[in-house]
Amino acid sequence: MYRESNKIKFTLRSDNILHTTVLPNTVMTLEDGLESTRISAEMVNNNPLPLLCDLTNVIKMTQECRQHFAGQEHNKTLTKAALIVTNPISRLLGNFFLGLNRPIKPTKLFTDYDAALKWLKQ
Amino acid sequence: MPEQDYDKRLDAVLGMIARIAALDFSRELETSPANDMMDAIALGLNMLSEELESQVVAKSKLKEVNEKLEEFASVTAHDLKSPLNSQTGLINLLEHCLDAEENAEAFEYISRLKKMNNKMKCLVEGILEYSRTCSLEISNEVVDLNVLLKEVLETDNICKRASVTVESKLPKVWFTTTGGVQVIRNIIDNAIKYCDKPKCKITVKARELHDHYQISIADNGPGIDASYHEKIFDLFTKVHPYPKENSEGIGLATVKKIIESQKGRIWVESSTGNGASFIFTLKKVL
Repeated sequence: MYRESNKIKFTLRSDNILHTTVLPNTVMTLEDGLESTRISAEMVNNNPLPLLCDLTNVIKMTQECRQHFAGQEHNKTLTKAALIVTNPISRLLGNFFLGLNRPIKPTKLFTDYDAALKWLKQ
Repeated sequence: MPEQDYDKRLDAVLGMIARIAALDFSRELETSPANDMMDAIALGLNMLSEELESQVVAKSKLKEVNEKLEEFASVTAHDLKSPLNSQTGLINLLEHCLDAEENAEAFEYISRLKKMNNKMKCLVEGILEYSRTCSLEISNEVVDLNVLLKEVLETDNICKRASVTVESKLPKVWFTTTGGVQVIRNIIDNAIKYCDKPKCKITVKARELHDHYQISIADNGPGIDASYHEKIFDLFTKVHPYPKENSEGIGLATVKKIIESQKGRIWVESSTGNGASFIFTLKKVL
């Protein structure tokens, strides 16, 4: 299954992992976060699944958006989240999700897809 | 990037760090579409500044709410004391007015009223005592724990109710006299209250460590199951298998609040049937 918003691509993989990537030079706002949650919830049919989220192309994420992604509403759509971080800015963002904006579901940072998928499938 | 631009950006970063340190969150660093390392640093600082501001505001609001709650508890408890004392007086008068033999049922009700009244008074006193611990931090001084222990033993007539052994000379610490008396009194009171032996035995000792002392007050009571070791310090929590009527679950919570206000720690070492040692830490006088 595949969906797209104006900034994010969503793919529900055959192994029941929801994979999200963003378009280059994306600034994520609360509205984007809310839309992401809405689309994710529809795709997983309200049964939370592991999330593989590639932050590579995100150049900024507002505080409200980070708080939303860390909060209850968004975390109803996932069981755990692997964040792919491959450059300084995405690594920076990823670390906010490990600390100051820690989500309520288990979240880890990875630099490669294989390790991320291995953890998500555990 | 030309060197002077780089220096200018570094300067801006240093300026931002300095402003954050001064709790000035009013400005943001500029970032460029280049998304280079300096942009990443600027973005990171902007984000940290936002988060820190939220935390500072939340902490300040929490502090305000806590202060108001503590004031409310103190004022309410204080205002309740007077009508409660009047109630005690009236109940006593009622008792004297009635003939015990002719009014057995009424006397039973009066007896129950007295118990409830006393319980209420204990609760109010406990709340007042707990709320008074907030003001203790400002009056620290060098305090001789031997003197405080002696004061509690004499004032509360402890030696008629328990045998107290002081195994080692207690130290002088940086503390408050009121706080110290409260801590010692509450722990000893508990030991006596919950003692299940013919004679309550209490042992007090101190151990010197690098920058603080560990003071231990141990008893020969029924002991406390490990699952309750944290909970017993919670406010209004009574975890003894047979809670005492005159216990409101405030004493140990007060002790913990006092010790933690001094940046100390308190814990209990105990198992069922083997007594309990309450151990707390206090800073050395440097």
